[in-house]
Amino acid sequence: MNLDYIIQISGPMLEGARTTILLFLIVIVLSIPLGMLVTLMAKSRLKPLAWIAHTYIYVMRGTPLLLQLLFFCFGLPQIPVIGEYLVFDRFVAACLGFVLNYGAYFAEIFRGGLLSIDKGQHEAAKVLGLSKWQTLRKVILAQMFRVALPAVANESITLVKDTALLYAVAVPELLNYAKTAVNRDFTVTPFVVAGVIYLLMTLVLTLFFKGLEKRFKFE
Amino acid sequence: MSSMIEVQQLQKSFGSLDVLKAINFSVSPGEVVAVIGPSGSGKSTMLRSLVHLEEVNGGSILIHGKPLVQNGKYAAAADIRKITSTMGMVFQHFNLFPHLTVRGNLELAPRTLKRESTEVIAARSLELLAKVGLADKADVYPSLLSGGQKQRVAIARALMLNPDILLFDEPTSALDPELTGEVLRVIRTLAEENMTMIIVTHEMSFARDVADRIFFMENGEIAESGTPEQIFGNPQLERTRTFLNRD
Ligand SMILES: Nc1ncnc2c1ncn2[C@@H]1O[C@H](COP(=O)(O)OP(=O)(O)OP(=O)(O)O)[C@@H](O)[C@H]1O
Ligand SMILES: [Mg+2]
Repeated sequence: MNLDYIIQISGPMLEGARTTILLFLIVIVLSIPLGMLVTLMAKSRLKPLAWIAHTYIYVMRGTPLLLQLLFFCFGLPQIPVIGEYLVFDRFVAACLGFVLNYGAYFAEIFRGGLLSIDKGQHEAAKVLGLSKWQTLRKVILAQMFRVALPAVANESITLVKDTALLYAVAVPELLNYAKTAVNRDFTVTPFVVAGVIYLLMTLVLTLFFKGLEKRFKFE
Repeated sequence: MSSMIEVQQLQKSFGSLDVLKAINFSVSPGEVVAVIGPSGSGKSTMLRSLVHLEEVNGGSILIHGKPLVQNGKYAAAADIRKITSTMGMVFQHFNLFPHLTVRGNLELAPRTLKRESTEVIAARSLELLAKVGLADKADVYPSLLSGGQKQRVAIARALMLNPDILLFDEPTSALDPELTGEVLRVIRTLAEENMTMIIVTHEMSFARDVADRIFFMENGEIAESGTPEQIFGNPQLERTRTFLNRD
């Protein structure tokens, strides 16, 4: 491994990492609120809403993410009649797949968080005159996020690694650049560089969530 | 004198289990009632019904003469909120909000309900913390407090909304014996200030000491009620005697 070569391939690989990071940010920013919404739907007293939420969670968690990505990137346009309106840029289609998939996992994580909250919290808030909505906002959600934080951290790190699935739908990203360079230059170095870049990203995330957990220790 | 709380023919069942069977009583302003009785007799259910944590199946509850429920029919949601807002409740397990500091626990409800300025609310929270002897704990999270301290915070939190009536469901049952005293002292101070209170408790000497009236509940009924002298000194019913002599 010589340094000049590493520097030379690092440029395009960081370019690829940009796509990875962009995907990561889009998915986190959209799938966490989606998960929240689905959790509330699953708890709803309106049966059809709850049913939709549970079915959604079941389907997204019960099938491979890779299958879902292939479906959104290559399957949607094949659907009769409406398919021609469902031709997206592959990156956009992949984002959609990731957001829907991760939304289901986050929903499940948040549901667990909600279950862990003692019913005494609801009762205390009610006796203090808070409405259901005020209780949710001021009492329940903060505690739910706190309980869910380690699992959310875990899931985020998994997402960093899952972005490599973009390779399978031919969206150029970090891994894609690495593979191209390996084929072209007959050296394993690009894979090592890619590994290091993934490690750096997960390290930053780990530190970030450690900080959050400390900040919200409530003691 | 009009009564603060008026309960008539209150009935509540969980499925086929009749937990409250035609409960009747009234509480006058400034009166302190202690509720005693064996486990499962319906003490908590009765107390929780008063603040609408349980919905009853029949009977009436009037607070300040206003019907929360009348002959089994509940008032409109907005009225229920208004009527129950004059009551505070203290729970066996404190139910403090763990994600808020002590001060945050006290101020959450008044700040959310926005009936007063934040300055007024902040001033009162400090005043009440001083009153329960926890002025130095304002910025601490509940996880760092002892049980007795937590319960005193819970009492201060209930007082933040200036309730006319305070309900206590076994406020010292979750505490180590050496910590009950500090909580009971606070409740006693409130009694001296003429706060209207209903206290479910297993602390017989405290009940005898602080209460104007004792209800002995058994099997979903107020089997016997009277002054502490009557109930502890000369109970009329065999089962009251048995309960008081059980240990
Ligand atoms: N949510 C509920 N669902 C079903 N049964 C209940 C429920 N809450 C209470 N019960 C039953 O109602 C009866 C009265 O319960 P309650 O908690 O009012 O008794 P208690 O006098 O407060 O007892 P303790 O001294 O143990 O607190 C008990 O048999 C209890 O099992
Ligand atoms: Mg009880």
